[in-house]
Amino acid sequence: MPLVSLEGVGKSFGANRVLSDINLSVESGEVVVVIGPSGSGKSTMCRCINRLETIDEGRILFEGRPLPAEGRELARMRARVGMVFQSFNLFAHRTILDNLTLGPVTVLGRKRSQAEERARELLERVGIADKADQLPRQLSGGQQQRAAIARALAMDPVLMLFDEPTSALDPEMISEVLDVMRALASSGMTMIVVTHEMGFARSAADRVAFMADGRIVETAPPATFFDAPTSERARDFLGRVLRH
Amino acid sequence: MSATPLVLADPPGPRGRRRILYGSLVALAVFAGLLALALTRLADKGQLDGELWRVFLDQPELRTLLWKGLLATLRAAATGMVLAVALGLLLALGRMSKRRVLRWAATTAVELLRSLPVLMLILFAYLGLPALGWQVSTFWALVIGLTAYNGAVLSEIFRAGVRSIDRGQTEAAAALGLRPLQVFRLVQLPQAVRRMSPTLISQLVTLLKDTSLGFVIAYSELLRSGRGAVEFLGSRYALPIYTVMALMYIVTNGLLSLLARWLDQRQSRRLGTGRSTVALDAAAGSAAG
Ligand SMILES: Nc1ncnc2c1ncn2[C@@H]1O[C@H](COP(=O)(O)OP(=O)(O)OP(=O)(O)O)[C@@H](O)[C@H]1O
Ligand SMILES: [Mg+2]
Repeated sequence: MPLVSLEGVGKSFGANRVLSDINLSVESGEVVVVIGPSGSGKSTMCRCINRLETIDEGRILFEGRPLPAEGRELARMRARVGMVFQSFNLFAHRTILDNLTLGPVTVLGRKRSQAEERARELLERVGIADKADQLPRQLSGGQQQRAAIARALAMDPVLMLFDEPTSALDPEMISEVLDVMRALASSGMTMIVVTHEMGFARSAADRVAFMADGRIVETAPPATFFDAPTSERARDFLGRVLRH
Repeated sequence: MSATPLVLADPPGPRGRRRILYGSLVALAVFAGLLALALTRLADKGQLDGELWRVFLDQPELRTLLWKGLLATLRAAATGMVLAVALGLLLALGRMSKRRVLRWAATTAVELLRSLPVLMLILFAYLGLPALGWQVSTFWALVIGLTAYNGAVLSEIFRAGVRSIDRGQTEAAAALGLRPLQVFRLVQLPQAVRRMSPTLISQLVTLLKDTSLGFVIAYSELLRSGRGAVEFLGSRYALPIYTVMALMYIVTNGLLSLLARWLDQRQSRRLGTGRSTVALDAAAGSAAG
């Protein structure tokens, strides 16, 4: 049984059709990288998976069950899915440590001391143990994003969603975030990653899904996809992206 | 420590500074002249005679009366503030609810309460509620009136604060599995309050001053006590007594603002949002340098 599957998912914003007939299954432990031109619906698809956006057609199954629509069940499902945003979205009024303990304490009911101990472990793991007592805006972009990854991991999720985690970063900070994500991928975490980092896709992905105009045009292992894309759209896209 | 003052201009250069200095001296001279004029006029009328101002020493009852008035004012204001904040939070939550009925009810309540004069709400609580079969003391009539009006105003302040917070904050909290009420309590409200704190404080100061409306329903707050004293002792004591009362209001509200500033600074040292510490640090640096 796949961990997540999208079956015939469609979505519109008003008259703007953003997703059409999306079919995608992700197995436990798999790393799927989603790439595609701007506006092709990558973020929207990613956000549908933890129901930050609702869908108009089809269905999404998580651990074999349709996504709950609301209430306690939805919250419980979201607690099992970590999400990392392009703009970090660390809670601006809380220290880094308090960012990491908020979920475990209020949602999972962990003891504060226990949550803090685990939070410090995770900060150590992403290389910012010394920032625990600082506020988000005192950190660099790369440090903030690593803290945001640690915040998601503090919930012990079974799936991690990344929506262009490095797009808001200065070039010299991109690799420090990608390194953390690579380590996470090789530790066996199930990940869905929307990114423009082709190097990451090539080295860390089990599969690449290529989106254009709200559809998944092509899905293939990275070696196959990058060396011999089957669709015209993908060839065209790769030609433009890889030229630099 | 002082924050950089908000001015709509570049920092002044040498010529600008000289002009500002001359302007300030002229303004100071004019102000001193006016003050001297006022004082001479008052002195001519015998309003500054020591005997008039010694009334506070000669009449211990007067001191007790004003003190009691102040306490009554503080009691009504404190109760009103707590209840108005609670009502404001409820109304704000109602207006942001998913449920249309709640939204509609809260919106109607806010618009209605906000558009009525506080005085009318106090009179309604004092005269209207008993007519509906609910007896209220003058204290509660005043508190209910103040709560109703200020609750509505505060709810709008809270809502504006919440709306000004980046959507990403809410989404990140929801993505962790927090329920909507937890998102409001733990992520939106703390940031909204910090961002809106100047507006919040000035509304609470307004509430405190509006306790003087208890006058009309014979609640013995500070203003009514003072006025009673003037009537009893004679109107030649009006100036000293009203001056002292004004000072009491000013000091109380000043303390309230100081308390707010202190809370705010303690918070920003611990957590901080909205205001940039960079600006504060720069100000501290330039003050030190
Ligand atoms: N909240 C929204 N309301 C209306 N339209 C939206 C909203 N969010 C996204 N869209 C539209 O949906 C389409 C797909 O957007 P989406 O953000 O999913 O694309 P993307 O593939 O992530 O692009 P990018 O690479 O630029 O991030 C775009 O046309 C966008 O304008
Ligand atoms: Mg996007």
